[in-house]
Amino acid sequence: MALIGLRRDKPSGPGGLLVGLGGPLLVSAAVTLAAWLMLQGTGGTTNDIVILFGINALMVVGFQAFVGNTGIVSFGHVAFMALGAYAAGIVSVPISMKAVVLPNLPQFLRQTELPIFWSLIVGGAVAALVALGIGLVIMRLSGAAASIATLGLLVIVNNVLNQAHSITRGPQALFGVPQAATFPWVFGSLIAVVLLSSWLKWSGLGLRARSVRDDPIAAEASGVRRLPARLWPFVLSAFITGIGGALYAEDISAFSPNSFFVAQIVGVLVMSIIGGLNSISGSLVGAALISMLAEVLRRLEAGFTIGPIDVHGAVGISEAVFGVALILMLRWRPAGLLGALELEVDPRPRAGS
Amino acid sequence: MTELIQRVVDALSVGSTYALLALGLTLVYSVMNLINFAYGMLLVWTALLAVPLIDSGLPAELVVAICLAFTTLLSIAMGRAAFRPFLTAPPVTLLITSFGVELVLQYGALLFFGENPRILRVPTFLNEVLFIGGVRVPAIELITIATAGIVVLGLYALLNRTFFGMQIRAAAEQPDVARLMGISPARVLTIVFAISGLIAGVVGLLWFAKVGAITPRSDLEPTFKAFISIVLGGLGNTRGAIVGGLTLGALEVGLSAILPPEAIGYTDAIVFLVVILILLLRPRGLIGPGAGL
Repeated sequence: MALIGLRRDKPSGPGGLLVGLGGPLLVSAAVTLAAWLMLQGTGGTTNDIVILFGINALMVVGFQAFVGNTGIVSFGHVAFMALGAYAAGIVSVPISMKAVVLPNLPQFLRQTELPIFWSLIVGGAVAALVALGIGLVIMRLSGAAASIATLGLLVIVNNVLNQAHSITRGPQALFGVPQAATFPWVFGSLIAVVLLSSWLKWSGLGLRARSVRDDPIAAEASGVRRLPARLWPFVLSAFITGIGGALYAEDISAFSPNSFFVAQIVGVLVMSIIGGLNSISGSLVGAALISMLAEVLRRLEAGFTIGPIDVHGAVGISEAVFGVALILMLRWRPAGLLGALELEVDPRPRAGS
Repeated sequence: MTELIQRVVDALSVGSTYALLALGLTLVYSVMNLINFAYGMLLVWTALLAVPLIDSGLPAELVVAICLAFTTLLSIAMGRAAFRPFLTAPPVTLLITSFGVELVLQYGALLFFGENPRILRVPTFLNEVLFIGGVRVPAIELITIATAGIVVLGLYALLNRTFFGMQIRAAAEQPDVARLMGISPARVLTIVFAISGLIAGVVGLLWFAKVGAITPRSDLEPTFKAFISIVLGGLGNTRGAIVGGLTLGALEVGLSAILPPEAIGYTDAIVFLVVILILLLRPRGLIGPGAGL
């Protein structure tokens, strides 16, 4: 009897959900432990890399929650990231700095200074609300049209952030956001959203979303309505991605609307595809693998020296490598490394296991 | 009245550019459900290639011919190498693959042409402005509208009056039956990518002649406009692409004319909101599928 294994489904019954949540939880705990060990092993010098990895992993989990369950590729998630970052940034800039950074802010916001927990919630909530509003329209469209409409959402959000000077400083950088995204906050949030996303996957919501994804007509004939089946994963996924944006804001502290555009999609997309779009465990594995690869490529871009050999930097090489990785992966293993498999810890023996 | 005619001419010019863009994209979509994210890179490559050719003093006609031939071949190569292995893959896979192709083509452009913007020096007559009864018509707009008309007629003739066209329509409507009738999917794909590339080359030259400067990262705007046009008109049919492109052009020009000055910065957002509202009423686009190619 295998206690730990990779499975496509979760056991039914009251304990089944616990088993379903336990696997991804274990993977996220393992990822957190590995990140912590790396941080300790290098004496804290890798702090920036580790934090950014945690945020990226969280963003991939958010992306997977929608794309995995509905089968619709979304480019709009960068928009949710931007909304989360700006919402959290604006409510967490210290009141003493607001006169300098955002002098034209509406009165109630000028006197708000939220601690990190609440700013993360605000970031996620703003993204989720926008997703709810726009999702009512976009989620009615067919798959391809919906993908393109999410691109439209990105353009709208980018345009508004660039123009709403009094709230966002327009195209100028928003700065002064406290750097509160420390290791416990980032990886604590990661574990929390992994739980949220696994709950979604195994709940009726996730099941209905996947039934619409796999066979819309059969799903409809079984009484599953298409719009809500897609809408709720969209909203939840936007919430997670908004938290990711908020953490990002409180990590880098200064950013502008163009920090969040199409280029930002590349990383998250590659991580999801490599790990497996249909698996939360896979998302985390993909995020870890690609983060390592990205770090190697980043050094390659900067140029380096091995003994007497001086290697010149190759600007843009990492995006090209990601592009090739996407194509090769989709060609030879389109479901990603883990496919739809999740890690599961099942104390009870099951038929066939 | 003159004001109105002026707007209509402007809208027609912008709209016909978008319609052309959308045509190149929708043809490929109709036979393999691919929304090609790399499409804009074809435009960028055409224009980037045109810059040194024009600067070297070659006659404009020759430059256009070389550029169009190059883009057509590039598009065929892209279709063969990157997309043919995915002929039967689900649309999600295709879309993400095309995203990968875009990254690779962009890196290629960065390697060859560098990051800095390049200026496309167009022949002087393109910059002239004609006044017809008080209406201001830049020569480039007139040429754009005329080119769009020619391409649409040519495409119509090709699709409806030739054997190639019949094969493409068959493959778009009934891929399995077409295959049984001896129409090779690979061959249809090559033809479709060739036409798509040719159209991309034409729009690429027109687009960047108007914009002026090109960088390897200039592909997103034309790609977005093409995407929105085909969704607005209805995915996978030529009439939808034309209607979608013209509607998008009319929306942009119309909104920038009627919006108050303080809202003008939000034009892009409002255009997209209107597009999304139209889709709410007609989720399958203005023309909708089932109209045939």
